Amino acid sequence: MIRWPWERAKESLSEELETHLQMAIAERIARGEDPSQARTAALREIGNLPLIEDVTRERWGWMRLENLLHDTRYALRQLRRAPAFTATALLTLAFGIGANLGVFQLLYAVILAELPIPHPEEVVRIHAARTPFDQSWTISYPAYQRLRAATPDVPLMATAYAQDATLVIPNRAPIDVSCRLVSDNYFSGLEVNAAAGRMFAQADDLMGQDEWPVVLRYDFARNTFGSAHQAVGTHIFLNKRAFVVIGVAPKRFLGDVPGIAPDMWLPLALQSTGAFAVPWDSLGPGYDVHLGKPWYNQPTIFWLELTARIPADRRAAVLAHWDQAFRNDREVMTEATADPSVKAALLHAKTGIAPLSENGMRKKFTAPLTLLMALSASIFLVGCLNLANLQLARLHARAHELSVRMALGASSGRLIRQIVLEDALLVAGGSVCAFVLGRSASSILVHWASNRNSLFTFDLHPNLPLVALGVGLMLLSLLCFSILPAVIFIRNGVDQTAGSRAKVAGISQTARQRVRSNVLLGAQVSLSLLLSTMSACFAATLVHWETMDVGMDREHVLIVHPELHQPRYTDHSERLPELYSRIQERLQALPGVRSAAVEMCGSIHCGWITALYVHGRNDLTDAQVHGQEDHVGLGFFSTLGIPILRGRDFAASDTDKAQHVAIISRGYARQLFGDADPIGQWVGYSPAPNDHKFLIVGEVADARVNGAEREAPPMIYMSINQNPAPVNSIRVRAVGDPQQLSESVRQALREVDPTLPVSGIVPLATELNGDLGTEKLLARLAGIYASLTLLLVAIGFYGVMSSRTARRMSEFGIRLALGATRRHIQMLIIGQTARILLAGILPGAILAVLAVHIASHLLYGSVTANSLAIIAASLILAFAGFVATFIPAYRAAFADPLESLRSE
Amino acid sequence: MAESTKYQNRIEMLQGTLDMLVLRALQREPMHGYAIAQVIRKRSGEVLTAETGSLYPALHRLERQKWVKSEWKLTESKQRAKYYQLTALGKKQLKTDHERWLQLVRAISAVMEPEVQS
Repeated sequence: MIRWPWERAKESLSEELETHLQMAIAERIARGEDPSQARTAALREIGNLPLIEDVTRERWGWMRLENLLHDTRYALRQLRRAPAFTATALLTLAFGIGANLGVFQLLYAVILAELPIPHPEEVVRIHAARTPFDQSWTISYPAYQRLRAATPDVPLMATAYAQDATLVIPNRAPIDVSCRLVSDNYFSGLEVNAAAGRMFAQADDLMGQDEWPVVLRYDFARNTFGSAHQAVGTHIFLNKRAFVVIGVAPKRFLGDVPGIAPDMWLPLALQSTGAFAVPWDSLGPGYDVHLGKPWYNQPTIFWLELTARIPADRRAAVLAHWDQAFRNDREVMTEATADPSVKAALLHAKTGIAPLSENGMRKKFTAPLTLLMALSASIFLVGCLNLANLQLARLHARAHELSVRMALGASSGRLIRQIVLEDALLVAGGSVCAFVLGRSASSILVHWASNRNSLFTFDLHPNLPLVALGVGLMLLSLLCFSILPAVIFIRNGVDQTAGSRAKVAGISQTARQRVRSNVLLGAQVSLSLLLSTMSACFAATLVHWETMDVGMDREHVLIVHPELHQPRYTDHSERLPELYSRIQERLQALPGVRSAAVEMCGSIHCGWITALYVHGRNDLTDAQVHGQEDHVGLGFFSTLGIPILRGRDFAASDTDKAQHVAIISRGYARQLFGDADPIGQWVGYSPAPNDHKFLIVGEVADARVNGAEREAPPMIYMSINQNPAPVNSIRVRAVGDPQQLSESVRQALREVDPTLPVSGIVPLATELNGDLGTEKLLARLAGIYASLTLLLVAIGFYGVMSSRTARRMSEFGIRLALGATRRHIQMLIIGQTARILLAGILPGAILAVLAVHIASHLLYGSVTANSLAIIAASLILAFAGFVATFIPAYRAAFADPLESLRSE
Repeated sequence: MAESTKYQNRIEMLQGTLDMLVLRALQREPMHGYAIAQVIRKRSGEVLTAETGSLYPALHRLERQKWVKSEWKLTESKQRAKYYQLTALGKKQLKTDHERWLQLVRAISAVMEPEVQS
């Protein structure tokens, strides 16, 4: 048992007064008084001892604290006595506040947070010109050098994403890491200082180093090497090249693109080694592009993104300088197109800037996250309404106790304080759970929102706005469900119920009180309907994308990723067709395999943009000639289940030596030839005279190769045997569940080539759904919210109806005694529920229609179709409401009327 | 509630003077509460009584203001009692209280018996 200081002081005071009494008695006895009379006289003289103690203790100034402690103890006792209410309140608050915190943290990290660098508003992206095929804002290395030289005093940083690399640390298993190539001035330009070691300097960007420098992300360094300081100086291998860790970035710096945090930053010059795959665009085949050679002196390979730090007042001047320096590059870029309007637009384009906040992540997530924030706010509101209602019911049940206490002299302030304190404890407990929940929730949300292959990384450290939101919600919930109900109740309720026990037990609830709790319940029903409808719509959208016809046999195909980008294969590419044919033969011999084929593209992000010029046509615009290319092996179309509409498939006779042929998709054919037959047409990568390299021999149906939710692109398929190169995937079509074939496929590939590593095996369905991050996030979170609110509404109905029927027991007793049937009593209660449901569903439906309208761009299907979900949601809600009411109704109808009347 | 207010009123009424009397009683030596009451009664010729209900709140308040400090000791008759002792701060307070009291007495006398003055 804890002994508070004032408890000791209290004992000391009692002893002091007792001593005083003893001395007074002793003196009286010494004066000759009778001992028993002396005591009585002394006591009379002193007066009310406990009162003196109280008054004396007040001098200490501890009374408030002591009272608070007493109230706290009392509150805890009260909460323990109502475990169901306590648990409901704790869970409601934990979820209500936790959901808001979790979503807000994500929202903050994606949309509101600025880069953790000095003057982030000065840092902007530089948009010089869109590249001819990918339409990205990348430029060549020589152009970058020219721009940088034009304005030596402006930090102009160049970056490029490299594909994940394999990290080998001596004596450890290799791991995949994400990396980004950055110019030597990247960190100094952003004004990011090292947390340990040093950042890049100019000397780091020299070519042909024996040991390359690398800077690590803080958390990556800590997780891999124990700490930032331990990481510095470590020697590692990346894609078999030697590296030394020269520094670690600060904890909060995760890169300059939200969500995409590289594990390590490498010097740009590393490109020259060819060991790191970097996305690029170029003028197209035949324009003096040598991908295998270093890119630093090739003005026609576009691969660098530009970021600069320019104070706002200097921007115009700096951009004008750069325009001048970039003029030559613009002219070079016009060679990629035959479309005069595109050429003109390119030449007249000006170098522009874009704030860092204009990024794909923000564009993609602003709407979904704002919507989720609104839904989270609704669930918080539903929770508060529910608790307010339960609280009112609970106070009504305690009316007698409270009125007796008031009659005994407790001040209404003290009573309110006690009730509020009770709830403050709940809120405090709930908030602790909420913060824990919110933290784990945001990492789960990030996981859901991420694309399959790239987990987003955000700075999810607690920040001031988050804490402010948490505290604000705490106070708001306390106000809503505790202070307001308590004040309303103490001001009206107790006075009316005070005095008569019969009144308390009887129909004491005034019409106003009933209306109040009905309105609260109705509002809950409305919001719950909104959440359920949204949840149903998002779920339907996700199901739609996951099950829609993609023009391929999505359920039976397995994607195998072989690692063919090794000198062993690339140096002898002429031998690859033979390897492919052996792989195909071996795989097709496996039981359960219908067919197998190789394909250049490995994933939905292949995005190999190309241009096709038709022989004898010079009227084609860029919009017509641009499409997407893929090189495939024999049997590709039958393996993927893409039907051949016209002409023929690739054949074994289509070799390197024979006429190069191509197969076109319906969409591309329509784009180039309209409704005319594409078979027999000649096409090439560039305008005349190079526009007749391929003969189109077949036409296939469109397929959503870029992911289920993206439109089928115009596709041109070439034969991999006529353009031998390492493929990125082997597709296997199974008779049944493709995933069960994984092991036998792996085994078979080992038999064909024991040295060929397989980096992954994924079912086509998974790959196609890989980018449904926002859809998954919305569907899952809205689903959780909807179930929570349903539960809350059910609890609300149960709580309110229970307390209402409990108070009307004697009335029911009289009714039954007067001849009402049990059915009649049940209908009385269920009728109430029905009215509340109806009153809630109508405004809820309006809200839901509005919400569906606002969110229509995130949903598949029309507003009308989605609005139908309201009916389903209403039915579910009504069902939950009736089930929750049935228990109290049953209890009321089947109680013994004699007992209920007697208990009065 | 009601009764405690009554007590408080009585304390308010006596407060200024009672504090001074208590401090004065403690000027020579530390004393326990009962002895202080006795001293005040005897010295005033049984006119003034420091009621227990006023004395102890006053003592505890004085202690909180750091004008007196207390200590449990044995009395001559081997009884445990809480002894109060004047602090340096208390001595200063007594001095100002005493001066103000004298001023007040003089002023009141001057009003009541103007002929004596002139």
